[in-house]
Amino acid sequence: MRKLFRKGTPARTDIDAFIAAAEFPLVDGSDVTFVFRGQAEAVNLRCWMSGLNTAQPFQALPGTDLWAVTIELPEGSRIEYKFEIVQNGERSLILDPLNDVIAHDPFGANSVCQGSGYLRPVWTVHDPDARKGSIELKTINSRKFRQKREIQIYLPARFRRNRRYPLLIVHDGTDYLRFADLQVVLDNLMHNLEIPQMIVALTESSNRLKEYAADERHAFYLAQELLPFVTDTYPLIDEAQARGIMGASFGGVAALHAAWRFPGRFGRLLLQSGSFAFSDIGRHERGPVFDPVVRFMNDFREQPGFPAEKMYMSCGIYESLIYENRSLLPKLQKQGIDVLFEEARDAHNWENWRDRLQNGLSWLFPGPEWMVYE
Amino acid sequence: MPQRLLLGPQRPVTNLGQVVNDTGIPMGPIAVISAGWQEAEGDIDDVRELVPGSLIDLKLYHRADEVFSVDAHLHDAHRERQDQLKELQRLYRLRLRQLMIAARQLRRSHASAEMIAAEERHAISQLRALDRHHLGRIESIHRAFDDRIGVTCSGSLAEQADAIRKILDDCPTVLITGGNVIVLLNRLRLFGVDRLLSDKNLIAWSAGAMVLSDLIVLYHDKTPQGRRDAEVFNTGAGLLPGYVFLPDARRRLKENDDVRIGLFCRRFSPATSVTLDSGSLLQFEGTEFRKAVDVRRLTNKGRLARVKTS
Repeated sequence: MRKLFRKGTPARTDIDAFIAAAEFPLVDGSDVTFVFRGQAEAVNLRCWMSGLNTAQPFQALPGTDLWAVTIELPEGSRIEYKFEIVQNGERSLILDPLNDVIAHDPFGANSVCQGSGYLRPVWTVHDPDARKGSIELKTINSRKFRQKREIQIYLPARFRRNRRYPLLIVHDGTDYLRFADLQVVLDNLMHNLEIPQMIVALTESSNRLKEYAADERHAFYLAQELLPFVTDTYPLIDEAQARGIMGASFGGVAALHAAWRFPGRFGRLLLQSGSFAFSDIGRHERGPVFDPVVRFMNDFREQPGFPAEKMYMSCGIYESLIYENRSLLPKLQKQGIDVLFEEARDAHNWENWRDRLQNGLSWLFPGPEWMVYE
Repeated sequence: MPQRLLLGPQRPVTNLGQVVNDTGIPMGPIAVISAGWQEAEGDIDDVRELVPGSLIDLKLYHRADEVFSVDAHLHDAHRERQDQLKELQRLYRLRLRQLMIAARQLRRSHASAEMIAAEERHAISQLRALDRHHLGRIESIHRAFDDRIGVTCSGSLAEQADAIRKILDDCPTVLITGGNVIVLLNRLRLFGVDRLLSDKNLIAWSAGAMVLSDLIVLYHDKTPQGRRDAEVFNTGAGLLPGYVFLPDARRRLKENDDVRIGLFCRRFSPATSVTLDSGSLLQFEGTEFRKAVDVRRLTNKGRLARVKTS
């Protein structure tokens, strides 16, 4: 940018050439400059990061149609953002027109800023040598919910009926597949022998903010309906340490709650950015949807018990839940639970959760690379 | 005396063909054991291109599946034993972890050299005692299994073992590939093949080499979770006693961690811990060491010293 303005206001052709040659946002060490080109009354950077103002105003660059804002982003960070454009008094959120890197989520898409030192892990990208697992659809007749529930079952590439497999139950399974490339990750990690071949049950809820919020029915459904169904249908290792539950955000709460309500049933927990809100005194300020979560977490923090032998927790440091997640760690360790806690320079989003899967899964389910000497 | 040629991984450097040519190992019919490759067992076209003569894969992995499919009693007993061994390994790992932490911290602690040396000797003796205890427990589980299901008790197992023995009778040389060392050892033991190799010329790489020693040690310092403590897994066929073979060490071993390497060496001493990297060759006549190419041994001081041909 400085070069562009070195000789005063740049000509339009110089701006065109600059835009065509550069990669946006402009990353220079820990300085990241976002650039918008166009007519507007105001432009804001919206990145929903805890610790930063939600709207960072751009500066109009005199004599041009360029707008820019520079923020400091620590090494290895990855953030998702949009531009807020104000035109004729109307505000609209748009993707960064100069940046092709986009992350999708259930609400749409965001532009992605990959800070200095961030590299997308290779094991999240399709590897043509890795054999693909398959996914089949099953229906469970849930007495608890009084309705049929569909689950997707991931079977590893070399699935054989005469073998026995660990089981992982995943909350928001379809979102994990779509937005966190879970199938690619599973295929790759198994191919690399970093996790064992395993069966993965991908669950859904049409009302996740209620059912995942420490709902007794959901815990019962997982432990008493889904687990027996999968155990009857597939060859599984019949040990708690070979059974895990995983979830992100409210899915993390649901996983922890189910393991807590049915101790000894699930020996492994993978909790990503768990919405572990609690109140030491007075009311919490996260809204009524969190009421049952806070009740559960307050109970849990009082009497954690031994929900699982081994746990993996991760949380982005740019999300407000980092406080709740960090403060849960000593409570779990005090119980003698073997916990690996990982913080990431990222926020509450699916690609953050994707990027942590290798560590989480291989911590809970170490693969046979240890035993294989090719 | 039968020849034993031990190699490292055959990728990226493939030295199998050259070694076979150079050493003049008898090339009559060659029995191949590729059970470590599990489902890919028998996929030996690459080997055929490198090794002249007729190759017969013993198909131990597939034979075991066949036996299990017709003998439910054996299958259940085998599964039960494997569960016991897995559980035992987990318990051993719990104890090992604490001893290893103590031993490593001693090595890094600041006290008089004399004081540290005495404590270190004791820490290593505790590690050795745990390893010995673990091997003893493994052996007792195997004995209980053998008592319950001997080869003679299972018709289908005896039938397959007999067929394997007949093939081996005609093969002066056996080639054992790498792969999953646990599966490989399991299948060798199941059919008693480990007891039929003593008079054979052997060419073996990676996991195949590990099972020929009298001690199999699992190791990997570079898993996604970082370093794991090396674990005694089992005794091997015992044809090359006094060695711990470490295949693919350049990729798996933190070679600059002198504390860790020194501890490894002392823990398994008097056995010699030697690396087998891609391109390595370790040659024996019977149990006598003859030649080494690109082979290193771990030293007490935590270094890797080149093994010289005598």
